[in-house]
Amino acid sequence: MMLLPLLPLTLAEKLANQLLHADPASSARLQALRGKRLRLTLRELPQPLTLTVVDDGVVFAVHDDNDVDCHIQTALAVLPELRDSANITRLIKADALDIEGDPMLAQRFSALFRDLDIDWQATLASRIGELPAYWLIKRWRQSRRWLTRRMAEQRDWLRDTVVEEKQLLVSAVEFAVFSDDLQALRARLDRLQRRLDSLPAEG
Amino acid sequence: MTDSQSERTDFGYQKVDKSAKAGMVAQVFNSVAAKYDIMNDLMSLGIHRLWKRYTLDCSGVRPGMRVLDIAGGTGDLTEQFAKRVGAQGEVVLADINDAMLSVGREKLRNRGVVGNVSYVQADAEQLPFADDSFDVITIAFGLRNVTDKNRALRSMLRVLKPGGRLLVLEFSKPVQPLLNQVYDFYSFNLLPKMGQLVAGDADSYQYLAESIRMHPDQETLKGMMVDAGFDNVDYHNLTGGIVALHRGYKF
Ligand SMILES: C[S@@+](CC[C@H](N)C(=O)[O-])C[C@H]1O[C@@H](n2cnc3c(N)ncnc32)[C@H](O)[C@@H]1O
Repeated sequence: MMLLPLLPLTLAEKLANQLLHADPASSARLQALRGKRLRLTLRELPQPLTLTVVDDGVVFAVHDDNDVDCHIQTALAVLPELRDSANITRLIKADALDIEGDPMLAQRFSALFRDLDIDWQATLASRIGELPAYWLIKRWRQSRRWLTRRMAEQRDWLRDTVVEEKQLLVSAVEFAVFSDDLQALRARLDRLQRRLDSLPAEG
Repeated sequence: MTDSQSERTDFGYQKVDKSAKAGMVAQVFNSVAAKYDIMNDLMSLGIHRLWKRYTLDCSGVRPGMRVLDIAGGTGDLTEQFAKRVGAQGEVVLADINDAMLSVGREKLRNRGVVGNVSYVQADAEQLPFADDSFDVITIAFGLRNVTDKNRALRSMLRVLKPGGRLLVLEFSKPVQPLLNQVYDFYSFNLLPKMGQLVAGDADSYQYLAESIRMHPDQETLKGMMVDAGFDNVDYHNLTGGIVALHRGYKF
């Protein structure tokens, strides 16, 4: 079904623009991003979503296979995290994020919504109704839990790796054997050197 | 082909003189212009909005571009394009019919779409624009009504910028035989009745149903676009092929 996703799409687009317009600071942020295109492949969505910044808002598209400036593959919950560039590497390492194109752009798109001066839960409820807002917030929390898990796994992985790395270090005995071998080798080299020195120089 | 045949073309299921078709099509749209938007919603159960939205999604249009909406009628696509190209861009709504153009102009002005849209009365077969002047051209539910479709396609190619694309949204042939039958019943029985009830005009909607059947199917139209000189031509069926979106590029 190619047309079905278009209904929620137009609703989501309307909502996003209403939210943007509710904050007077958005206009300058939009201005700076005008013409930029961002594609989102989200775990929670069946299809990639393409956002284009136009003069007075953003346009959403699902059937858009044209070039974009930045393509992000991630989960819903990660989007606000992108605002801090420090998070980006961490998220990529945790396999919670993949970026193609300009990462700065991901950051600026994230800031566009994240910096909105609104109470999300209340605003959503008043714009789209209690029930859809409740559903959305629930999906959001699910996504956050997924992210927390992902990051915890990453931490564990790091810890395990460090521990294993300790095992990679040579033991005291191994080191002693190695030192002895080295000592012996050095002695043989010295002897060899002395014999070389004692040979008459060729004319 | 004998001379007398080549001078005739289809008008729905009738054969009429080529020179007469344009006038007869004009009469149809003169008669439906005022009720056009309501009928569109009714007849397609509102789905035409999704077909158009799909077209917009595929257009790849960006701020600053120049767009031509041929046979733009009451301006549904033009309105959305205007929003997307912004103040730096431009959209030209072209239609052969003055009545449709007026309804479109009035509607868009009332909705505050001003500044980057211009209205031009023009025939798709001989577009009054310079070569290489548009990034995107659309013709939605319009090609069917054009007398010489090949000539119209060549004219569109000429005014398209290299790298630009043409999108043709048009009724086509449903892929499922069953859907085809249901659709036939709908078009030839219900549609003219709805036309009679809402717009007081059964004939125009009978023409609509017939012209849809006479329109080239998916593969034929694709071939015509290739012949006209478009590159990378492809199409997507929508709603089981009741409608298809054809896309072609000028390289
Ligand atoms: C069914 S309407 C489509 C209007 C609009 N594009 C939409 O999708 O709602 C078809 C339009 O094609 C226009 N038309 C018919 N023949 C034409 C031609 N040769 N050149 C330009 N426009 C034409 C008619 O005047 C009419 O407005």
